[in-house]
Amino acid sequence: MSGMREGGWYPLMLSADLEPGTVAGSTVQGRDLAVWRDGEGQAHVWDDRCPHRGMRLSLGFVREGVLACLYHGWRFGADGRCVHIPAHPDLSPPGTIRAAPLRVAECHGLIWASVEEDGPLPEVDAAVWVPVRSLRIEAPWQDVARAVGIPDGHRAAVLERDVEGRVLAALLPVREGACMLHLLAAAPAGVERLHDLADWGQDVRARAEERAGRVFLAGGVA
Amino acid sequence: MSELVLHDDELDEDCYRVRLFLSLLGLEARRVAVDVVPGGEQDRPGFRAVSPAGLLPVLRIDGQMVCGAGGALLALAHGRPAWLPEARVAFARVAHWLQFAAGPLRATLLMRRACLFGGVGDDEQSARRRAAVGALRIMEDHLARRRLEGGAWFVGDGPTVADIALFPAAALCRDWGEEYSAYPALRRWVRAVRGLPGFVTMPGIPDYG
Repeated sequence: MSGMREGGWYPLMLSADLEPGTVAGSTVQGRDLAVWRDGEGQAHVWDDRCPHRGMRLSLGFVREGVLACLYHGWRFGADGRCVHIPAHPDLSPPGTIRAAPLRVAECHGLIWASVEEDGPLPEVDAAVWVPVRSLRIEAPWQDVARAVGIPDGHRAAVLERDVEGRVLAALLPVREGACMLHLLAAAPAGVERLHDLADWGQDVRARAEERAGRVFLAGGVA
Repeated sequence: MSELVLHDDELDEDCYRVRLFLSLLGLEARRVAVDVVPGGEQDRPGFRAVSPAGLLPVLRIDGQMVCGAGGALLALAHGRPAWLPEARVAFARVAHWLQFAAGPLRATLLMRRACLFGGVGDDEQSARRRAAVGALRIMEDHLARRRLEGGAWFVGDGPTVADIALFPAAALCRDWGEEYSAYPALRRWVRAVRGLPGFVTMPGIPDYG
């Protein structure tokens, strides 16, 4: 087992979960972010707030390689600058109108954003990581970290769980008492192994939420 | 096929399931509005004579009335193996998801109505939310597993009537405070449904134009 030095970097989501030309939301310790991928495949992470009226940019859409707000259609380029205002099509928007980009890194099959200080990029043993899945867990991230074997003070680690191969586990603290657990398997990993790890993730979720006194059982309530 | 008639409420998720499926099939139905809010027409004798449990929508097909979303979806899918597989196990899996949509998944619909229109206490709300989140997670977990074996849909290699029955609960979950960021597999699948030729929205589901 080895911990990773994350600095101020947080694992937002699996790279595989952000298709080119799409935008998704993410939350890091209560701070809402818009995560989007442009036409060239580059990922961008901004504060989830349109500079125009404060609408959540994560509800918008990517058109012609730029991010458009759902509310009034203002469009923003990769550097965060507004490039088009539909209500004033002939206007060249001033450079002061811009979204707030964060530093982004994409490695080990995950999209990371630098939210706090500029620390070093996360380091993981060189391997090809196959995405398994992400799970929302309504329990404190530190409790989940302990349960899966991530060393104290770390948010990600390579786990030597069993003889079948290594697992990369990364935790995103979403808000008080809620986190996302991302799981990846060292290649090669067949379908059976991936299914086993997905089952393990669900088991981790069920136990952590039981400890936190939060049980989500479908059925029973009409 | 004789003229299709849909007795329909624009704001109702069950009616939307059928409108969406009609549109994906490229079929037109004459729509007759049922005055649910504020009229309560679904509980009046005239409507109950057609739909004894007050289930919406009612589809007139082949000159007969079929009531409820599950029945209407099956009536439209019948004889279309792409949407309703004929192989025994695949057929049963579609049936399972239709039952799930009409059973445990109702918690999401009730939760949404409670959030939009009020009328329940905090304790009840909390129990209802746990049941609704539990139901969404069953869908999320299933799609996450399907993806590991290369599948993008609930049953088989393409969209079936099960995907249509399940879609509104996922697409409308933001109305009761659930973010897609907690459900990455659902988010990808919602996007795939949105990309189907003939896709239409309902109020609460954004139209990107």
